[in-house]
Amino acid sequence: MVQSRRAVWAALISALFVIAAAATAYGDETCNSPYITNLIKGQEDYIHVWTLGVQGLGDGSDKLVTIDVQPRSPYYGRVVGTVSVGGRGEAHHMGFTDDRKYLWAGNLDDSKIFVFDMVKDPAHPSLVQTITDLPAKTKFIGPHTFYALPGRMLVGNLSNSTDKGGVTGLALYNNKGAYVSKYPMPTKDIGGVTGDGYGYDVAINPAKNVLLTSSFSGYNNYMRDLGALMKDPEAMKHFGATMVVWNLKTMQPTQVLSVPGAPLEIRWNLVPGQNWAVTAAALTSKLYLIKEDSPGHWTAKDVAVIGDPSKIPLPADISITADGKGLWVNTFNDGTIHYFDLTDPQHPKETYHKQIGKQVNMVSQSWDGKRVYVTTSLLSHWDKTGADNEQKLHAFAWDGHLLMPAFTVDFTKEKLGRPHHMKMTAKAAQQVALASAGGG
Amino acid sequence: MTGARLALALSAVALTSQAAVDPGAATAPRMEFVAPAPGSYTLQRIQPVRDAVLLSPAGTPMHLAGLTSRKITLLTFFYTYCADPLGCPFAYTTLTGLRDRLLAEPALAGRVRFVSVSFDPTTDTPQAIGWYGQQVAGDPRFEWQFLTARSVRELMPVLDDFGQDVSVETDAQGHATRTRHHMLKLFLIDESGQVREIYTLAFLQPQVMFNDIKTLAMERAR
Repeated sequence: MVQSRRAVWAALISALFVIAAAATAYGDETCNSPYITNLIKGQEDYIHVWTLGVQGLGDGSDKLVTIDVQPRSPYYGRVVGTVSVGGRGEAHHMGFTDDRKYLWAGNLDDSKIFVFDMVKDPAHPSLVQTITDLPAKTKFIGPHTFYALPGRMLVGNLSNSTDKGGVTGLALYNNKGAYVSKYPMPTKDIGGVTGDGYGYDVAINPAKNVLLTSSFSGYNNYMRDLGALMKDPEAMKHFGATMVVWNLKTMQPTQVLSVPGAPLEIRWNLVPGQNWAVTAAALTSKLYLIKEDSPGHWTAKDVAVIGDPSKIPLPADISITADGKGLWVNTFNDGTIHYFDLTDPQHPKETYHKQIGKQVNMVSQSWDGKRVYVTTSLLSHWDKTGADNEQKLHAFAWDGHLLMPAFTVDFTKEKLGRPHHMKMTAKAAQQVALASAGGG
Repeated sequence: MTGARLALALSAVALTSQAAVDPGAATAPRMEFVAPAPGSYTLQRIQPVRDAVLLSPAGTPMHLAGLTSRKITLLTFFYTYCADPLGCPFAYTTLTGLRDRLLAEPALAGRVRFVSVSFDPTTDTPQAIGWYGQQVAGDPRFEWQFLTARSVRELMPVLDDFGQDVSVETDAQGHATRTRHHMLKLFLIDESGQVREIYTLAFLQPQVMFNDIKTLAMERAR
């Protein structure tokens, strides 16, 4: 009898798998962690922009800016909320917790991490917690990437509090904001390449039990004026040139890969049978493909150039499409967005580009790829100056061939600051919280 | 209800609710690697479990702390009529498979328990979870506890402590229905009541879970 019942359950579950598989897609709306729930498959309602405060502009504080992006809304394309955090600490990147209830936002200067409640009222997020113990607990500073794991947040850092160079590591917090553990970036030879100890982005492939990290530069460089930095040959030596392959379960590095030129954002193609990742090296303007060439052994190979590397276009952010067949790349210096066809990841082809302005930095796209959002600030000391210092959020519609402007928010005119990282939210459709649903 | 009728009923619920359910990132977990050997790694101490008073199938108050310590515990939240194919039924399949593997090693099985806590104290009365437990998990050789709460109000602190999200689907008029939306999570808790691993769908890899249980079992032996 028990066996019979098991058989019925097994048959039922198998049947339902077929139903589910037909409705399932891969990737996410802006390259979120694969552990994040409630991905927005349709129209997003809000874009939240982690914005660096500018002295003398508005309240001068770093803030989370919320823009209504629902075309049916009377407030479409307008700022509907701001939450200032009181001070300037080089606001940079953000990441949702696995349940998408909270958004963690980090500062590269003072290493504070702000936690916003995004559920109670997505139009008006509220600051619920400020985490300040990262340097004390880990000696790492510059929290950059916030990557959700079940019930916890993996934080990729840029620097250390000892010499403020690029040697750093990963920190793990639980979703309540309590420190759990840390993992130094490797500085020894693993697999024939010596680790430089530098860090930047974090990206996981659960099916392969692989965590990839990339490498940028330390506080001494990212908080320095870019012009002076570029003229300092010694300082320019201190950029990351590696990626690290980690065993996710054991959190041990298994390979160091040589990827010269500061490999930044990492995007996985998690479609079954693909299991490759791409990154863009900022200083060499090359796209790299990270792929498993034999079981458990990974390689990194440069597969395309972005723009004209001799002009240092500085690819800053990339966004992979949900099906893994396309990639947006923003190059900061020439203010241009590029679209690469990744159908053959060994040979990406640029099929479109458009100069948006004097500078562009982050790029995020909707799940369906029909909407693309671009911001302009790289770092407060690296942004252009004078008339070239455009600080805007640009929204576009993408028809597969052309980007068509939808709206622009001028963050300087609005007295907001420098817009950097973006995340999307949507109002919960036909759902209420359990606590308010009644039932005793 | 027979297994066939139960399956049919769940099938119907699934088909009618599918259109409204955002499948999110849900995909069946894949495992394309060799799981690290038990004891070759350390599981993080993610958070302690806070105590709460819940109800047993007999309607008896039960301290959660008593059921999340002294043994290695896999705890999950469920509701008896959940039909999301990658939700409670999937967790059930994973857990029964793990139980069967554990029973092949009786000494280890004796150190492990499963705990399933209902999301819906209104429908899932002590009697209902008792019946459900017998239907899906009744095996005297293995400790599998089913719990409910006196009320949603008493359940909420437990959900909040674990970070287990759940919302209730509403109908066109905005009235709450019985359908719950939740992220599937299984919590691996050590003998001292610390959460040591959390498995969401992408992590529901039975071999890894089995090795994690063994890894915790080996900690005491060291």
